[in-house]
Amino acid sequence: MSDARIEGYARALFEIARAEGTLDEVEDELFRFARSFESSEELRTALTDEMIPAAKRQAIVEDLLGGKATGTTTQLLSMVVGSGRGKDLPAIIDVLVERASSAKNLEVAEVRSAVALTSDQEDRLKAALANATGKQVNLKVIVDPSILGGIVATVGDSVIDGSVRTRVDQLKARI
Amino acid sequence: MNVMLMNIFVAAEDGHAVDPAHSLSPYWAADAELIWGTAASIIILGALFKFAGPMVKKAMIARTAGIQTELDSSADAKTAALAEASDIRQAAGDIDAERQRLIAEADAQAETLLSEGRARLEVEITELNARADADIIAAGGRVSDEMRGEIARLSHAATERTLASGIIDEATQQQLIEAFIQNVGQNVSQKMGATS
Repeated sequence: MSDARIEGYARALFEIARAEGTLDEVEDELFRFARSFESSEELRTALTDEMIPAAKRQAIVEDLLGGKATGTTTQLLSMVVGSGRGKDLPAIIDVLVERASSAKNLEVAEVRSAVALTSDQEDRLKAALANATGKQVNLKVIVDPSILGGIVATVGDSVIDGSVRTRVDQLKARI
Repeated sequence: MNVMLMNIFVAAEDGHAVDPAHSLSPYWAADAELIWGTAASIIILGALFKFAGPMVKKAMIARTAGIQTELDSSADAKTAALAEASDIRQAAGDIDAERQRLIAEADAQAETLLSEGRARLEVEITELNARADADIIAAGGRVSDEMRGEIARLSHAATERTLASGIIDEATQQQLIEAFIQNVGQNVSQKMGATS
């Protein structure tokens, strides 16, 4: 899909979520869904296979998120998947998140952790990143067991890598 | 003579007459025979001297010339033989010198070949030694690389196995998270610069 079309979808989703008054919640749910979509081959296949009817793909989304996400989030995802743009979901959602953060003068901070962070940890990490970057950050936490332990934080073009996986890889390289 | 005279005296005493044509001696001729014989001999000798002498003299001269010729020829032959002997000796000397030269040349060539062969062998030995050293170093390097690779592989396997066994417990996870938050708060500027 072209950047303009991705941008168009993102703007539409953004405007709908803002109109619904659930932008923060929807944005956060969509972000998590996008990361799950990226990490799950099975989910990607189910939502992007053109041989599967659109109604069935939408049913998959609704079954997957029913009761776990807001109705707005479910409907927006169902709309994108039903229109055959499932493979562009992560890009659309990333643009949406960027747009939502910009609207609030926030910088997106993508944080990957091997285990879930507590609210206190998220607050302190947000403060630390804000202090470090000089900007208020929109913290997006992704639980990623592949990093084994620690945290990897990406703010704009900067990456702060404190993961065990990276240390192990460095150790392997030295060996 | 005494015997003849004694025989003449004896014959005279016995009354026999003495005939000058007959000698009384069994060994000595009669006087007349002696006289005439002597005269005849002188005449014959004179005739011989007169008529045969020049011929004999000529023959002798010719013989002398022949002998001289033979002597000269012999001298020439001797001279030639001496010259030939000299030539042969010289040739023998030349042959000996040539033999010596050839032997010296052969010795020189042999020495050259030996020297060149020795030099070539030394070069080959040096090359072989260098090649052997390089092979040893390469083999050592290969073994070292293989050992290093094997150690790395085993280390990787041990690391993966350790990580797969879930050695990072919840407490450790929390410690890592807290350490990260603390470090970001304290040194984030330096860290971001190092990892950007």
